[in-house]
Amino acid sequence: MMLLFGTIPDKNLPLVYGQVRQEGDFLYAGEQRFSRTQGTGAMISAALAITNYFKLEAPYVLVAGDIGGGDGSRELYKYLIEHVVELSPDVLTMHYCLPIMALLRKVCEEVNKCSKRPLMIADAGAMYAAKGAKLATEFDIFTPDSSEVAFLADPQATHPAYISHHLFACDADKIPDQIADAYKNNSAAKLLLVKGKKDYVAADGQILSTIDEPNIPMLEPIGGTGDTITGLVSGLVYAGLEPKDAAIYACRTNRMAGQMVNPTPATKVKEIVDQFPQVAKQNYCAWAGVCYTEAGK
Amino acid sequence: MENTKPEKSKFVGDGIVILHDVAGAMKGDRVARAAGYEVKLVSPPPEMRMGCDLALEVNLFEQAGIERIFKEKDVPYKTFQPIAKGSSRMCDIVKVTDFANWVMVKAGNMKISYEKASGIVVNVSGGGCPDIPYLNAEMVGKTLAEAPLPSELGYTLCATMLQRAYEEAVSIYNGGNHL
Repeated sequence: MMLLFGTIPDKNLPLVYGQVRQEGDFLYAGEQRFSRTQGTGAMISAALAITNYFKLEAPYVLVAGDIGGGDGSRELYKYLIEHVVELSPDVLTMHYCLPIMALLRKVCEEVNKCSKRPLMIADAGAMYAAKGAKLATEFDIFTPDSSEVAFLADPQATHPAYISHHLFACDADKIPDQIADAYKNNSAAKLLLVKGKKDYVAADGQILSTIDEPNIPMLEPIGGTGDTITGLVSGLVYAGLEPKDAAIYACRTNRMAGQMVNPTPATKVKEIVDQFPQVAKQNYCAWAGVCYTEAGK
Repeated sequence: MENTKPEKSKFVGDGIVILHDVAGAMKGDRVARAAGYEVKLVSPPPEMRMGCDLALEVNLFEQAGIERIFKEKDVPYKTFQPIAKGSSRMCDIVKVTDFANWVMVKAGNMKISYEKASGIVVNVSGGGCPDIPYLNAEMVGKTLAEAPLPSELGYTLCATMLQRAYEEAVSIYNGGNHL
């Protein structure tokens, strides 16, 4: 099973573990409802679109309300530490949460006790904690944006807001060097998917692929368009694709779905997520050999 | 045998708050702990040491929340800074992008976008801490003047960066010169 972990910006949402479903404009785990807007909700809804397309078991989610104070994040880490061996997910994606390095270290220690090691993906606060705690190499995929890859490249930084002066500019042409530095510092996962004007897929310090078409500059201001890439790549590796292919298709899917809605900076990310089934139907046969028929096979 | 030594804190932070004096540091320690933050009293870094003074070790990602509680409880301080040696310091570059009817302002890893004509915040993006989706929900749809301040609702460094982007957006909007 695929387990998606992260906080939801609702202070009244308790810790919830369960299989996710979408009803109307909302996501549900059990009877608990939460939004599919920016952050963990957008990531989950993207992964759900992929499992629906491939007719796979829907993702399980471990979510809790947290508006920044950290209570929900701590509950999530604690639950995962206590239950990850018993849950033994095939794919574990960790997303929005307070980057608490000591707790992430315990999560990684417990993950090592799983009979079959999950494929580990991190973005957002979980990625910050993994880098800060020098646990990056425990992860299979990181999905940073262009400012976050500068943070990974800085051996001293523990948060993207504090990075060395020479990395401030975040110039697009510096990204390949920053990717190389991130690997040199052991601050990168096995595979990096760097989201930006041009997306980069890299492993072992080498750039394996770049994706820059269709070019949709209006996607940058839309909150959640990076989160959806993390959800897409999670769904695609869970479907059995190699991480490199999953990363490439995730970037293409996000761009093509963005193009379909003719976005402005006021577009909401859920409008883009709603296009993922159509992009999959039109392209996954050619890209991945997984073809859609009207019978749903 | 009874151990009379106080147990040393196992907490290890990545940032340090420089306060004005020892009494201020001790008050800061008390106030931060009471609010639920993990902190530790430590010596300031050598270049900032004046004598037998104290500083507070903190988790930098909690900077915005700690700053707010210090303000509320009247704990003046000089600065927050990373512990790691080297040239790390807070990103101070702000970038502005013109999208015809909208403006996007980016500070560090955080972006805020508003409509030029109305000043309505249309999106907040970037970051990875739990307060950012919350700030997105609270700010989007309101004008820059009506929207809550990230520094008042946020807790983390991502919110601190969003506050910088917000202040620049307000300045550009009020100046009437979007670029």
